Amino acid sequence: MNPITPIINGMAITLKHLFMKPVTLQYPTERPKVAARFRGLHALNVSHNKAKCVACYLCPTVCPAKCITVEAGEDANHDKFAATYEIDMLRCIFCGYCVEACPVDAIRMTGEFELANYRREDFVYSKDRLLEKK
Amino acid sequence: MVNLTIDDKQVTAPKTATIYEAAKMNGVNIPILCHDKKLKPFGACRMCLVEVEQMKGRQIPACTTPVTEGMIIRTATPDIVKARKMVLELLLLNHPLDCPVCDKAGDCDLQNLTYEYKVDSNRFSDEKFHHEIDYNNPLIERDMNRCVLCGKCARICDEIVSYGALTFIDRGIETKIGCEFDEALNCEFCGSCISVCPVGSLLARPFKFKARFWSLTKEKSVCGYCGTGCGLTLGVKDNKILTTIYDENQGFHKGQLCVRGRFGYQFINSTKRLMKPLIKKNGVLTESTWDEALGLVAGRLKDAGSVAALATPRLTNEEFVLFKKLLDENVGTKNYDHAAGYAHSALTEGFVRSFGTSASSASILDIQKSDLLLVIKTDTYETHPVVGFEINMAVKNKGVKLNILSDKRGKLSKLPDAVTLVHRPGSEVALLNSIAKTILDEKLSNDAVASVPGFAELVSALSAFSAEAVADQCGLTAAAIKKLASDYASAEKTLIIFPTGQAYTGHNADLASAVANLAILTGKYGKEGCGVLCLSEKNNSQGAVDMGFYAQNGGLNGMQVLDACTNGTVKTLFIAGENPLTTYPNRSKVKAALDSVEFLVVSELFLSETAAMADVVLPVCSFAEKEGTFTSADRRVQYFKPAIRKNVQIKTDYEVFSDLIARLGGNAPASGSAVFKEISEGVPGYQGMSHVALKKDSAFASVVITPAFVIPQATSAIPVEQGKLALVIGSALYHNGTLSQYGEGPMHVCPEGYIEMSHSDASANKIANNDLVTVSSATGSLQLKAKISTRIPAGVVFAPYHFSDSPVNTIWSGSPVTFVTLAKR
Ligand code: SF4
Ligand code: SF4
Ligand code: SF4
Ligand code: SF4
Ligand code: SF4
Ligand code: FES
Repeated sequence: MNPITPIINGMAITLKHLFMKPVTLQYPTERPKVAARFRGLHALNVSHNKAKCVACYLCPTVCPAKCITVEAGEDANHDKFAATYEIDMLRCIFCGYCVEACPVDAIRMTGEFELANYRREDFVYSKDRLLEKK
Repeated sequence: MVNLTIDDKQVTAPKTATIYEAAKMNGVNIPILCHDKKLKPFGACRMCLVEVEQMKGRQIPACTTPVTEGMIIRTATPDIVKARKMVLELLLLNHPLDCPVCDKAGDCDLQNLTYEYKVDSNRFSDEKFHHEIDYNNPLIERDMNRCVLCGKCARICDEIVSYGALTFIDRGIETKIGCEFDEALNCEFCGSCISVCPVGSLLARPFKFKARFWSLTKEKSVCGYCGTGCGLTLGVKDNKILTTIYDENQGFHKGQLCVRGRFGYQFINSTKRLMKPLIKKNGVLTESTWDEALGLVAGRLKDAGSVAALATPRLTNEEFVLFKKLLDENVGTKNYDHAAGYAHSALTEGFVRSFGTSASSASILDIQKSDLLLVIKTDTYETHPVVGFEINMAVKNKGVKLNILSDKRGKLSKLPDAVTLVHRPGSEVALLNSIAKTILDEKLSNDAVASVPGFAELVSALSAFSAEAVADQCGLTAAAIKKLASDYASAEKTLIIFPTGQAYTGHNADLASAVANLAILTGKYGKEGCGVLCLSEKNNSQGAVDMGFYAQNGGLNGMQVLDACTNGTVKTLFIAGENPLTTYPNRSKVKAALDSVEFLVVSELFLSETAAMADVVLPVCSFAEKEGTFTSADRRVQYFKPAIRKNVQIKTDYEVFSDLIARLGGNAPASGSAVFKEISEGVPGYQGMSHVALKKDSAFASVVITPAFVIPQATSAIPVEQGKLALVIGSALYHNGTLSQYGEGPMHVCPEGYIEMSHSDASANKIANNDLVTVSSATGSLQLKAKISTRIPAGVVFAPYHFSDSPVNTIWSGSPVTFVTLAKR
């Protein structure tokens, strides 16, 4: 093959891309479109003004990264609720098993992916931070 | 043995087996829900249906049907699986299915069976139950919506616990488990019902929502309260003991526990535990370092002539040996003892003289094999509840006769056909002597007795104890005494049981010899179902005796040590875990002794009243944080390993003693198992034992008996002081020593001291239940809550001794009977 042909082919591709819509996003001014099934930061679903989570301990049991900490409490009606619900995002592998395991549909994963932070402690998401914002 | 075929397999089984048992023995698993091997067959749930060819393929319950020769049984045909599925569907029909919030999930028979039989839908539909959930008591939650009406709770409470708190109430679809008249549960809170409930109807509230069953590590251990020596399974998560777990195969007691064993574990992870050594500086206990504290203690121990030590019978055998070594060899003192000296005298003096050994000649296992039990004091149930269960089962299932000599009635008196002779407090020995005399007079004694040393002396000494002569003093009739004597002598196998402990000063060497005389006279010892069983109070009381940790060869005993502290001959006192300020007689005397001793060292788990007076307090470990062996009251030696890691800041008593030995220039043995090797070589009956072997299974230390008759000194009739009541002290069911005060569970149901009295004495003093009463004796006075009950005879009052906040030793100076007056505040 003529040694010049591949170079010309290459330049052609380059030229073609000059006129195509760029893939690169000008983050943070431009935002990606997150698919509905994306597995980002967790949210604890709320119903009747309280977290749906009943502290059944199934998500900490199933979690392969062992990054969920649940401590159950007994409320005034003797019902079970999550007194502590924490996820350590530094260890989470975003597998979504926790969502699958939940028997009461209390946890889901959102499109939130901007989880960078300055201190390690800040990656441990407490119940307050996980409660869904309506 | 009969031959039968189970699932095409030729097998054999004993004639008495049910189909379920026969299958289980031969490795075929039949699902059960309402059956429990400890209880009588019931047949309520129909989960265990099987097909028997001879019955034309009819489905019959395996748990209630006995095997017969040639039976051909099929346990898992499609029809049976279908029937079982139907049973489950019907059970789930009204079941709330709230597994996510039900603490039983993971350990639930209904859940497991539903999963196993893949019952994922229900052909029927009906409303769920709406029973009110009982949150009224702090230990047991009752949610009858989840109940499958298996009846196990009601049956165990009746058949083994013999309390009968629970029963089926209402009829038809309304049927539920409840207390009489649907009242709140107020029972002895042994938790047996929780342990057998196959679903989440009965739950332990202290553990409620704490963790899931599957996340717990199950650690085998030995109960650290009384001398029964029950095995314990602790549920551990994140190095915390969260609950006790039922294991129906554990120990002679098959996992049965009393309220203390089951609910008294919280002291181990209590936030009140001492974590740093304390040294008294300018009159205040100040946190310090181990090095400073042990340095100080070692310095004081060098002054051999003035050192004494008291130890709690809760130390391990290894720790006793090491402590003894430290005192004998490195310090050079003989002044050490445990349990105040008198609480072990039944063994160390009484049995030594009568049987030639400081151990009981019978075991707890003999109870169910006996024909007649003679129990001294109904308190036996309170001091050793699981031994009480054995007595319940012996009487109710095996038809064993029960005779009780006691100064009050009690739970044991309520057993079927139990005969309770309620005698005047303090007349036990005279009464026992008169029984011996009757046996002699009526020629009911064994032929060989004349050759037992001391026989002639006994015969002459007993001459003053004819039933007629003693009857009045005991408050009984001569006929009743004679009847008991002839019952005892004529039964083939008889066993005498009596408790000892800090509160039972009357259960001393004389009482031990008096009961031993009965056994020797009739030849009822050293055989199955026969003998004398001394139930020592704490988990290792017998071990302390076996290891020789008591005053011998001229050493001062427990009470003498305190006197010596007061008069200045003892200048350094090392108290390992005892709490004499509350448990030894005569509080002001104990306090004076602890005040006057120059240097007081206390090793403790908590800052007890005694520890608060110390110059140095050493924080040590509970049984759950160390390894070692305990010897139960019937000389079962059990090994246990740490259930949790100890906090790095504290030491075990073992480490404290070996550190002190090193500081005093001695050589401590390398490890606990090395110490145990010395024990197995030196302690009679422990031959051939080792930690390695005991890890697999516990072992009994053998007992060799050389009988001799000893003349027991009976106290002469105690004159009744006019207008005064006879106070007897003892143990409450919910407590053991003072440790159970930190156990939370026991404190929920029995939080404070009380004085129990008869209706007549209460009304004579115008006292109502729960009134605050000032109880005054010659020694002092104390305020206690009144508790009126039918079991106490007129003229007698009873108070338990466990409570630091209402110490009965302010009014009790150690005599078996104290005369008191009551005044309502
Ligand atoms: S997504 Fe996976 S790793 Fe992350 S918390 Fe859930 S179960 Fe754990
Ligand atoms: S009792 Fe068993 S089946 Fe019923 S809710 Fe509890 S765990 Fe589930
Ligand atoms: S706790 Fe014991 S005494 Fe109370 S109801 Fe249950 S089994 Fe009976
Ligand atoms: S409460 Fe539990 S043990 Fe009692 S009958 Fe119901 S299911 Fe059985
Ligand atoms: S306190 Fe005694 S009877 Fe109760 S569980 Fe413990 S060892 Fe057994
Ligand atoms: S287990 Fe046989 S009927 Fe319930």
